[in-house]
Amino acid sequence: MSTESEMKKAVRHLETTARIKELLPGFFARPTEETDRPVAWCMVGVPPELLKAFDLEWEWPENFGTLCASNLVAPKFIELAEGEGYSSDICSYVNNTMGYCKRYLEEKGAPPELGKVRGMRKPSFLLGSGVTCEPRYKWFQTVATRYFQVPIHSTDPLAPPWDQDATDLRIEKHYLEQLRRDLHGQVDFLEKQTGQKLDMERLKKIMEYSQEALWYWYQVLQLRKAVPSPMGSTDYFMAIIPQMYMLGELEAVNFYRQMYNEVKDRVEKGISVTNKEKYRLIWFGLPPWFNLGMFNYLESVGAVVVYESIYNMGEWVELDLSDPLEALVERTWKKAVDANERGAETRPETCELSAVGNFTGSNLLEELVEDFKLDGAILHQTRSCRALSFGHIHTKNRLARLDIPSLVFESDMADPRLWSDAQVKTRIHAFLEMMDK
Amino acid sequence: MSPLKGMALARHIFENREEYPRKLKKEGKSVIGYICCFSPPEIMHAAGALPYRITGQPGESTSEVDNYLEPFGCSYIRNIFSRYIRGKLDFLDGLVISHSCDMVQRLYGIWTYYYPFPYSRLVNVPHQLHPWSQDFFYRELVLFKESLENHFKIEISTEALTVSIDLYNHIRQLIRELYQLRGGSNPKLLSSELMEVLVAGEVLSPEDFLLLLQDAVDEIASRNVPVVNPNSVRILVWGSILDHPHFYRLIEEAGGQIVTDDTCLGERFWNKDVPVTEDPVEGLKEQYLLNFQCPRIDRGPGTQRFAYLKEMAEQYRVQGAIGYVMSFCDPHKLDYPDLHDYLDKEGIPMLLIDDNYSLQSSGSISTRLQAFMEMLS
Ligand code: SF4
Ligand code: SF4
Repeated sequence: MSTESEMKKAVRHLETTARIKELLPGFFARPTEETDRPVAWCMVGVPPELLKAFDLEWEWPENFGTLCASNLVAPKFIELAEGEGYSSDICSYVNNTMGYCKRYLEEKGAPPELGKVRGMRKPSFLLGSGVTCEPRYKWFQTVATRYFQVPIHSTDPLAPPWDQDATDLRIEKHYLEQLRRDLHGQVDFLEKQTGQKLDMERLKKIMEYSQEALWYWYQVLQLRKAVPSPMGSTDYFMAIIPQMYMLGELEAVNFYRQMYNEVKDRVEKGISVTNKEKYRLIWFGLPPWFNLGMFNYLESVGAVVVYESIYNMGEWVELDLSDPLEALVERTWKKAVDANERGAETRPETCELSAVGNFTGSNLLEELVEDFKLDGAILHQTRSCRALSFGHIHTKNRLARLDIPSLVFESDMADPRLWSDAQVKTRIHAFLEMMDK
Repeated sequence: MSPLKGMALARHIFENREEYPRKLKKEGKSVIGYICCFSPPEIMHAAGALPYRITGQPGESTSEVDNYLEPFGCSYIRNIFSRYIRGKLDFLDGLVISHSCDMVQRLYGIWTYYYPFPYSRLVNVPHQLHPWSQDFFYRELVLFKESLENHFKIEISTEALTVSIDLYNHIRQLIRELYQLRGGSNPKLLSSELMEVLVAGEVLSPEDFLLLLQDAVDEIASRNVPVVNPNSVRILVWGSILDHPHFYRLIEEAGGQIVTDDTCLGERFWNKDVPVTEDPVEGLKEQYLLNFQCPRIDRGPGTQRFAYLKEMAEQYRVQGAIGYVMSFCDPHKLDYPDLHDYLDKEGIPMLLIDDNYSLQSSGSISTRLQAFMEMLS
């Protein structure tokens, strides 16, 4: 690709998301210097609430990957990783981390080529997870082998396959036992690393904040059913930050409350992201972080993405917080049952221990088409992440039965080498014409 | 069985993989196709079915799957599924897939959605070796066994399962004899030949395979015309699925003798007996979760996880390692750099071949293999 893509710059529509850095200092202004306090490197799937309960400092290499991608520093790290023998097929977030680790050790600290991107502090221990994909646990295995020989613990949250009845009591018991013991194993590891006992009262309070934040966030996503659309994907892909990394923080509650008020107000006033909304779209797959301006481009031609399957928290889950650890298990399991009941054929057989969701082809599509008044779908085939793009053709087939056309295009989430503005535009215009017919 | 015996029979079965299951099906046997061995064939055999490991045909067209599977996916998976769509596997009464890797697991959902079987099962496999993950896998195997019992309306007794395990263990012993014949100090067997035997073993019932093996061991042991050049470079092959002799032939032509391997159909599967335990499912759990060295299991950080390869290299006096990885195969590709560096430290150079299960560029692969052999010899 050209690093000169005109879709590099993304414009957000909401004041809340435009001011996100100010509103979430706990995320954007956290310290960069190394101190004696332990820093956990975490994979998505580690409940942020637990990190908060142990007062841990954290880094999320996946999120770091998105930031490096958005700022076009990822390619350098990816190339370094390729030089170490990591194939270009491997998840570009992984390769970004490997390149970063290598440079970090060479520089004895965050390397200078990061530019505006905040570097990750070195880990005291690693919290891996088996959520969604293989790279996620192999990644930390190799970080702990090659770069930072620190303690590591990875979770193993499994979920029943699409054709087994998750409401069958034996199946439920089988999986719940795994999820419960897995979470307790993670807590034991954290207690050992920090020398602290988990404070259940504190975790309960944290879970209350978490639920409150999620409730506002859920309402925001519901408001996107409105026509015309009050917000767009450039807002969404920023607003996922608290959901992914800050659940349990008061900042997250305030952020989503403010966002909810703003979006609600826009719906009431009929303020939309474009005054020519013509096509309402659903998005599948990770976004091309380096070119989020693609969403603005779509809006400029009247196409607004109103639902993203990726990172989507899905249905609201009511929880009994009297035992907060059990509440985490319950949240995970209820989401798995929900997905299973919808028959998600191409979902990974793992649960989301945090509150993040994702789905490909399932019976949910029918509801979404109706509720969000969808006209079409865009499916982003990320070359280096099969975990979240395998199943797109199947989704496309299922959408076709509902008379919803799809645009499938190939690129990547962090590696811009496959991107071409001209091609993307040609594909988009052909797709719009198809929807017109 | 055909009048052919031993190695000739192995070649016949290898070349006509569909003939035998079709015949058994006609005779009333149920044929269950499976892909990875986290779903133990011993259990399917104890249920009275023919466990038929689905294998691919490198280089065959896979365009049939374009309506179902993405191009950015394991080419092996695409190859297998397109063979099914083309009707090559029309004798299957059931499909069992274990969550060995992400690709295989997604394939299960897509395959069974579009082409439902009278019996299908996904065997879920933990990624970690935590005590609770091991317990999970044990329960999963019990549930797998029960699903077969319900489907076939039978009971799989402890005795029946023990008999199956014994039978497969007997096979393992004979295969290890063949390994000795290919990797000992005076090799009498080529890996490309052994591959045909191993693939025949994925097709035949264990009873018939045992007979074939007994003949093959005798036949090879009494070979007195050398088939292996004594100056061949002693090679270890590591990697993703290899179920065709083509790649092995390229190595042999370049001057190598594969004396041992760490691949799914090879050593990984046969090198250790299933432990004999009072509860046979315990033994299966141990074998398939703990002993089976697939990189999709997280065995913790550090290069100690590759120590078994060093042992193999010492035992077989290996001079160099060749990795074969399939495009988009995450479990293997993520292990490669650590493995490469580990072997390097142990004084074993490693060459990596990245392929899309077609070996279409065998010309350039051969050139790289030759250069590697020259460096080693
Ligand atoms: S889900 Fe995809 S992007 Fe995320 S870690 Fe796994 S392979 Fe990488
Ligand atoms: S070759 Fe790799 S990706 Fe393909 S099925 Fe085997 S483990 Fe999975």
